[in-house]
Amino acid sequence: MAFLEVSSVSKAFRMDQAERCVLENVTLAVERGEFVSVVGFMGCGKSTLLSIIAGLIPPDDGEVRLDGELVRGVRPRTAIVFQNYSLLPWLTALENVHLAVASAQPTWPRARHRDQARRYLEKVGLANAAHRRPGQLSGGMRQRVAIARALATEPDVLFLDDPFGALDALTRAALQQELAQLYSAEARRVTTIMITNSIDEALLLSDRIVPMTHAPRATLGQPVAVAIPKPRTPARLTHDADAMHSRARVVESLTASVLRRRPVRPEPRLPVGDIDVGLTAVPTHTEA
Amino acid sequence: MRTRVRDVGRRFLPLSGIALIGLIWFVASRSVPDLPSPVQTWNESKTYVLQPFDKRGEMDQGIARLATYSLLRVSKGFLLGIAIATPLGLLLGVSPTLHRMFDPAIQILRPISPLAWLPLGLVVFRKSEPAAMFAIAVCSMWPTVINSAAGVRAVPQDYWNVARVLRLSRWATFTKIVVPATLPYIFTGYRLSLGIAWLVIVASEMLTGTPGIGGFLWQEYNSLIYAHILLAIITIGLIGFALDRLMGLAESRLRAA
Repeated sequence: MAFLEVSSVSKAFRMDQAERCVLENVTLAVERGEFVSVVGFMGCGKSTLLSIIAGLIPPDDGEVRLDGELVRGVRPRTAIVFQNYSLLPWLTALENVHLAVASAQPTWPRARHRDQARRYLEKVGLANAAHRRPGQLSGGMRQRVAIARALATEPDVLFLDDPFGALDALTRAALQQELAQLYSAEARRVTTIMITNSIDEALLLSDRIVPMTHAPRATLGQPVAVAIPKPRTPARLTHDADAMHSRARVVESLTASVLRRRPVRPEPRLPVGDIDVGLTAVPTHTEA
Repeated sequence: MRTRVRDVGRRFLPLSGIALIGLIWFVASRSVPDLPSPVQTWNESKTYVLQPFDKRGEMDQGIARLATYSLLRVSKGFLLGIAIATPLGLLLGVSPTLHRMFDPAIQILRPISPLAWLPLGLVVFRKSEPAAMFAIAVCSMWPTVINSAAGVRAVPQDYWNVARVLRLSRWATFTKIVVPATLPYIFTGYRLSLGIAWLVIVASEMLTGTPGIGGFLWQEYNSLIYAHILLAIITIGLIGFALDRLMGLAESRLRAA
């Protein structure tokens, strides 16, 4: 049995009296220490899936088991990095991290909480900004604080909900790289599920990439293993034959899901690379 | 150059508005026999203004002294009001059940005039001071109750998620998330409450005959010294304006933080 098991999960939301099925029969197994990325279009239900796996919202059908235990509500030793940072604006960067550490490790003495918070802020390169509030930090810096907050709690499982989605392209690239390095530097391997709409981001960090078909009734496609030694760099990934192969397979799977849904529409242009480009003309809601 | 002219004009506009109202007052005093003109008002009031801390008798005191009595009374009533209103509002914000239970009652109690509460206060407390305090508290607390509750309901889902992900206890969620997130709303409530508390003071002093700016106003009306009514009105207005500005300052500080 895998460390994290998602079995036949379905979820529908009521919108304007109509049931809208977001997820249908989603099944996924993640091994301990594995880094799995779920790649899909914007608005395809990825975040809903992550919220269910993390225990923030319950599924309508199916179940999620973590380490054999049924997930009901947010489990201890779990951390989440949200796309919109979700830092508390009235606390400084250090206080934000400190609050998380103190709450995750209540048995530690106070001094250790503070040291841990400081250490992780240093790891993400924010030692000098420790006493600034989120409002005084750039988007990239805020997300660094959020990553420090998540890792400092020493979680078993980490959920990254499109963590770089709100950042500009350059910052995004820099932070991806930093996260890749942070991961290879950590002694413990944290089981991680990342939601993203960038295949390159997924290739840089994951052991496996799972394509997600388009909502409504989104489900997961065939996982694509990424057997490239870590840490990886974007420069290497652009030329690596394995990476190109994996990328092509993910794109193929995602394209197929779009084409199956919209046979009458002109074929969407799908540049190999960032999949949210070229698909902006495809409406998210097609079925009433 | 042009912008400077406009700047000066802008600064001049509020003053000209006040001057215009003074002019209306002056014209009105010409046609209404008992209404003192601005000049007459000043002449009859200047001892109160120029010796603001004098005490010549129970009601015959300098304007600053009278204002201090009123301000003390208001602050007591106001503090009592918000001491009840803040936790009550937070509670109503947290619990939809309590909100549904008490909202109609609040909407009924809210529009009741201080003139109606005061006699009830006198019946219950048998003394004018606690009755005045009661009237001020009970009239001024509603904006704080309503704003605090609205503030809690407006706490973004993101923050609740943070609380759940960090597995904060109920108490930590309350102190670390709910209260800081709601603080700007609470202060808007305080500002509105203080405005009402100051409105109520005159009514309560008039009815109880206690020394203060409102009591002075009523006494001077009874002694037929109408100029002093205008003195009291202007003083009440200026103090109310100053209080609102002070609270506004505190509020904007909080928002900036």
